[in-house]
Amino acid sequence: MSMNQRILVHLILTFEIILGFNPEPTYLVLNHFDRDLPAAEQALIDNFGNSTFEFDPSIHHMFEDIDNHENPAASHMVTIKELGEKYQVNYILFNRIEHIDDRFVLNGLLFNTRSGGLIHRRKIDLKQYLNGQINELNMWVGNTVGKVEKNWEKNRKSILFSDPEEINYEKTPRGAAIRSLAAPGWGQAYSGKKVSAGLWASTESSLSLAAIISFLNYDKAAKSFLKNSKLYDETNDEKEISDYRTAAENDWNDHKKYSQLAIIFTAATGTGWIANSIHAWIVGPKPYTNIYQQWNTK
Amino acid sequence: MNLMKYYYKRIAASLLLTVSLVGQVKLAVNTIPTRVDVHLDGINLGSSPIKNERVTPGVHKFEIKKKGYAPLTYDLLVNPAQAVQLDFFLNPVYKVRFKTEEKGLVFELNGEHRWDVQLVRLELEAGNHFLRVFKIGEIIDEQTIRVDEPKKFNYYLKKPLSEE
Repeated sequence: MSMNQRILVHLILTFEIILGFNPEPTYLVLNHFDRDLPAAEQALIDNFGNSTFEFDPSIHHMFEDIDNHENPAASHMVTIKELGEKYQVNYILFNRIEHIDDRFVLNGLLFNTRSGGLIHRRKIDLKQYLNGQINELNMWVGNTVGKVEKNWEKNRKSILFSDPEEINYEKTPRGAAIRSLAAPGWGQAYSGKKVSAGLWASTESSLSLAAIISFLNYDKAAKSFLKNSKLYDETNDEKEISDYRTAAENDWNDHKKYSQLAIIFTAATGTGWIANSIHAWIVGPKPYTNIYQQWNTK
Repeated sequence: MNLMKYYYKRIAASLLLTVSLVGQVKLAVNTIPTRVDVHLDGINLGSSPIKNERVTPGVHKFEIKKKGYAPLTYDLLVNPAQAVQLDFFLNPVYKVRFKTEEKGLVFELNGEHRWDVQLVRLELEAGNHFLRVFKIGEIIDEQTIRVDEPKKFNYYLKKPLSEE
């Protein structure tokens, strides 16, 4: 070890002695709760194993007037130093929890017994949640010692309302629209609208069937026309010429009629299909609440 | 000589910085949700979480804003201390539709907003809201409704027998 290194080690040791460096901070905890919280003391012991806690619930009234002092941080320096010497602790932690309706207020003060000053303070006003008081106590103490567990933060978030962009619904209007695009009526059925699901399914089925039948008739008429035209060209018999001509003309008319019908029914099917999908989106599953007049029931 | 001047300047700058920091309080701001614009006395401090900012003792005004959440204004008296840490919880604002098939009703929410149409779109802060219903100038109903997600409220004077 060089001379410089020796000096450095010596300096570090000297500073540790001067500053009273203690790897395991000791706390005198003064809990003042308006309701019994039997698990509070054990929670601190269990969650902050690197610290030593001593509890004395008899002292608390002296810190309730802290805001009446001109400088709250230096309001009880002498008392804090005396308590520090008496209990041989580094810090004094004062926790007060009051319940107001469905809320609770945690007021936390952390004093350093060497300086006697207030070094941390937390006041939190929250809606009650499962084990909320213990959880908030853990978060407050954890914040002062730099150890806040993720599950404490997660527990606290349980009382908060969801971010509108993060809300996920099991069934959505878009899901309904996509289903109806795949099969007419499916989206409506998915949304629980059985009557409209049946109407859309039957309407679209009928239109599709009509379009197919029209196309088949058009195809049949077109083929028949070609056949009769060919026979008409090949024959020299007057009666046959007349018959083939009449048949070919009828086929031509039929082919035109069924062609138009096929176009109309196909267009109607396509339009209806899209309309059915839009309808599924409009009537799609959306959260709602029915409110009924309460005065009638009183 | 130039080197001496340089060191003097460095020392002077350090002293100036120290003097300007003395009496200032370290400020940290956490918010739920995060990435929220934090304004201190009208000056944008940036997006939360804010760490290692400095604030002078005295009264300060915090404004917290995020799209989709109710803005928050908070007046704080900063005492001479080592550090101040603030946690803010923002309340989301949900898009709500309020519909009724009943005729001749006037609705009032939280004693502020009134409407007499059958369908109205509202943006409401999450939580409980006080609804009052009038018919021909008389109060016919009062109740608290809870807004906990974007949704539609359907108001009825009578509950259908099927739901009794």
